[in-house]
Amino acid sequence: MRHAVSPLLLEAAESDERFLVLSGDHGYELFDALRTHHPDRFVNVGVAEQSMIGIAAGLCQTGFRPCVYGLASFVPIRVLEQVKMDLCFGSLPVVILGDGAGLVYSVLGASHQCGEDVACLRPLPHIAIYSPCDAHELRACWIEARGNSTPSYLRIGKSHPDDIHPGAVQGTSPKIVHEATPGSSTAVIVATGAMVRSGLSFARAHGLRCISVPRLKPAPLDLIPLLGDAERVAVIEEHASSGGLWSLVLEMLQAAGTNRSLRVEAFGLRTMFTATAGDHQHALGEHDLGDEQLARRLAAWLGATGAPSP
Amino acid sequence: MFEPRTLRRHIVDLASHGRSAHLGCALSLVEICAALYGGVMRYDRQDPAAPDRDLLVLSKGHGVMALYACFCDLGWITDGDVRAYLGNGTRLRGLCESDVPGCEVSSGSLGHGLPVAVGMAYGLARLQSDRRVWCIVGDGEMNEGSMWEAMLFAAHHSLDKLTVIVDANGFQAMGRTDEVLSTEPLVAKFEAFGFAAVECDGHDLPALTAALTPHDGPRHAPRAVIARTVKGHGLSFAADDNRWHYTRLDDATRAAALEELR
Repeated sequence: MRHAVSPLLLEAAESDERFLVLSGDHGYELFDALRTHHPDRFVNVGVAEQSMIGIAAGLCQTGFRPCVYGLASFVPIRVLEQVKMDLCFGSLPVVILGDGAGLVYSVLGASHQCGEDVACLRPLPHIAIYSPCDAHELRACWIEARGNSTPSYLRIGKSHPDDIHPGAVQGTSPKIVHEATPGSSTAVIVATGAMVRSGLSFARAHGLRCISVPRLKPAPLDLIPLLGDAERVAVIEEHASSGGLWSLVLEMLQAAGTNRSLRVEAFGLRTMFTATAGDHQHALGEHDLGDEQLARRLAAWLGATGAPSP
Repeated sequence: MFEPRTLRRHIVDLASHGRSAHLGCALSLVEICAALYGGVMRYDRQDPAAPDRDLLVLSKGHGVMALYACFCDLGWITDGDVRAYLGNGTRLRGLCESDVPGCEVSSGSLGHGLPVAVGMAYGLARLQSDRRVWCIVGDGEMNEGSMWEAMLFAAHHSLDKLTVIVDANGFQAMGRTDEVLSTEPLVAKFEAFGFAAVECDGHDLPALTAALTPHDGPRHAPRAVIARTVKGHGLSFAADDNRWHYTRLDDATRAAALEELR
């Protein structure tokens, strides 16, 4: 997915003379194309994330439409108050790209890992939050975010080589990425971002409906009808379940007044720091979310639902 | 218009009607505001949102009553606004918020205004605009790291349409700045960060006006004016007394203040 960011930046620079990218000295080759073709549109503000958000706000107020890039641990986490007051309070149309969200930087440890960004941003007024699962959703989220008249946060997690969707997707509503085998619809998998891949893999193997949720705020209320008659829902995310998609699903069900029996199971990051170095799968493993562990946990969850296997 | 004694009366009215803290914070920057609104800054007295205006960012939002005092003179806020200050459902808050016409940036949280002002100055420089950006900061506010980040950026990009005005009243919320966390020597620090910095008496209106007025000819550095001020200036019982950071006027002190400002 990450490879798809660069062309989006280039397109925006070519179609909108107000477009600028600000980076806090991160991004490396992500900006090579932009810097080659439009060097004046890339501003490395230095290792100064706090002032970067303020500078983006000031640029916005003088007619620019900046995109602010950082690692999610720093943008938006380090600069949360700047996002709140400099961007959200004035409803300024700045797009924040938070790269490396989740446990992408597994070897670098807790400082560079980020499982709390969505939870921190969700209560802030005016900001939209996106968590695409592949290059196609990324493009749809980017187009929507760039069109918003208010701030937007685009969460970029682990980049897997293969896309989830076969082609371009329209809009940012929840998307069914795998349909249930007839008769096995009592369990549904809901996932966002990089974990859609894991959810889809399990859903394919067990004939379940799997839904990707690329937009987390405004709340994707149209997810609720897609749950159909499900009795159990597994919510998978590379983010803390509390405050993340799991919380969001529960909140939406409560708000929708759904009174039927529906259990929503959390498969997200635990409230803990990773303890050891290792690759991405290893870091997920510490949270019981590695591919094998997750498949095992989902199988146990599915067994408890009594849903038939194909 | 913008006669310092009148502006201080507006501040006393606001502070007493609103039972507001931060009286001392506002009184120290009266002459700074008087100089800016009185001729240094280019703006439209009929329209706080005029597109070609200079931008004034009050980064030390705690001094907002000094801005409101100027808005009183301009008719941007009314006597009714003053009498209702901080009342339930009213539009003026006790810190600077950008939804009030004339307040460009929300700055109740310290360390925010200067970075935004720098972004404005950078945007205007990219547009080759002649508009200027004025940013009033507190010497206590210079404790915030984001201020120094923004100064690095301003100097690196030669933002010569930016003027930072330090309301150097020597106090911050809980004590003298020199005793809490010294930010001096401010002139040397701004110079070391690439600013053209000068110092002046922040209550001497002609001197302040001269220091703030941009000189002709090209420059390649942002400017800093270190305005040496007295917190609570203009009221003998409040001058250089940090209790007036948070003390509210009562009937007796209000009467004494208005008598002194008659």
